[in-house]
Amino acid sequence: MTLISKSTNPTKNDKVHRVLLGKKQILVTEEEPLLIQLERAGIHVEYQCREGYCSSCSIKLLWGHVSYPFEPLAWVQSGYLLACCAIVKSDIEIAFFD
Amino acid sequence: MSYSTFNRKHFDSMKEPMFFGENVNVARYDQQKHPIFEKLIEKQLSFFWRPEEVDLSTDRKDFQRLEEHEQHIFLSNLKYQTLLDSVQGRSPNVALLPIVSLPELETWIETWSFSETIHSRSYTHIIRNIVNDPTKIFDDIVTNEEITKRADSVSIYYDRLIEMVNLYNTMGMGTFNVPGKGDIEISMPKLKKALYLTIASVNVLEAIRFYVSFACSFAFAERTLMEGNAKIIKLIARDEALHLTGTQHMLNLMASGKDDPEMAEIAAECQDEVRQIFIEAAEQEKEWATYLFKDGSMIGLNAQILGQYVEYITNVRMQAVGLETCFATKHNPIPWINAWLVSDNVQVAPQEAEISSYLVGQTDNNLDDSDFDDFDL
Repeated sequence: MTLISKSTNPTKNDKVHRVLLGKKQILVTEEEPLLIQLERAGIHVEYQCREGYCSSCSIKLLWGHVSYPFEPLAWVQSGYLLACCAIVKSDIEIAFFD
Repeated sequence: MSYSTFNRKHFDSMKEPMFFGENVNVARYDQQKHPIFEKLIEKQLSFFWRPEEVDLSTDRKDFQRLEEHEQHIFLSNLKYQTLLDSVQGRSPNVALLPIVSLPELETWIETWSFSETIHSRSYTHIIRNIVNDPTKIFDDIVTNEEITKRADSVSIYYDRLIEMVNLYNTMGMGTFNVPGKGDIEISMPKLKKALYLTIASVNVLEAIRFYVSFACSFAFAERTLMEGNAKIIKLIARDEALHLTGTQHMLNLMASGKDDPEMAEIAAECQDEVRQIFIEAAEQEKEWATYLFKDGSMIGLNAQILGQYVEYITNVRMQAVGLETCFATKHNPIPWINAWLVSDNVQVAPQEAEISSYLVGQTDNNLDDSDFDDFDL
């Protein structure tokens, strides 16, 4: 099943990346953090502060690259990403709890 | 080694571990070994709020209209939260300040504890507003068996660490006989283990123990009941989320060995015990949910759903400190709670943030020559 998130007016140099989550595939841009784009695609992600300090939206990053426009206050475990403030920079695969 | 409020030794605080190094002397923040704690202080200060800002006049009427079993749920949660913040308003200071070795961490501990005292004051504000005799409620906190059971588990690690540090500061290393308690061995590994377990139990307190009561407060507010209370709880939840990041950083820094190599060994050795602290707290919280709903549930919540939420949130918190999750619940059974827990819609009046006259000591730097036109000497 492929879900395509509605991106808001994609600009010309706006890069689109694939996010794999189990059997789902979601297309995301570098315009916004991952959390909001997953939500738009109908995927429920745990969250609380939405500004990088509570670590509730920590998700496993199996492979691929994300970056943070500002360094989050929360500790990000290696192999995880913080969805509320992570910008996806390549195709990635993510997973929730096993 | 005895504690000194102003250590006269010359040492480089950038080379000290977080705890059990030199006592802090100069409170300086121009250089920091772990800048994260300075950032947490700044964030916490930006969150500053006062309970009296929240109007609770409708809550009084709402409370009188609640059914008896709902009043029991509401008051029991308030009592439990009062207990938790009574402990948290003092214990980080009493237990951790005598052993901390970094100025930024020392100040974070003080800032953290201070914000808990605001929470305690807000419970008094709420209780005074809804009942005529607050004494009945406060007295029950030390006699109610369900609450005192929890008091034991939240204070045991703190108390043990404080006792050991007292012995260490007066007697130094060795084995000492304490009347009524038998022989207590004081050595650096034992002290560090007591510290690590204390931080883990505080993490559990702030990451899990508060959340059953948060869920109930927000479930009332979903029915437009006790909304003033929910506003206060929202502010408390925002603070607690930041505090738990503080203890997650301490635990992760310790486990990584970057701060103190010996601490990494202790963290590895304690892993099972820490898992057990998480699991035990989750089980106690599930029991608490059963106690809350013993005379009846409330719309949108019952003991079973709340129990699943406890399991879910425990999994989330365990993952954040690098532990394997241990409960089967992988989905949030009450996803609506996140809309209440989110802090980006905590209201700030625009004038507070933008108009300089609302800010204490604020100056306006945008001046040009025309501002002096009506100025005569």
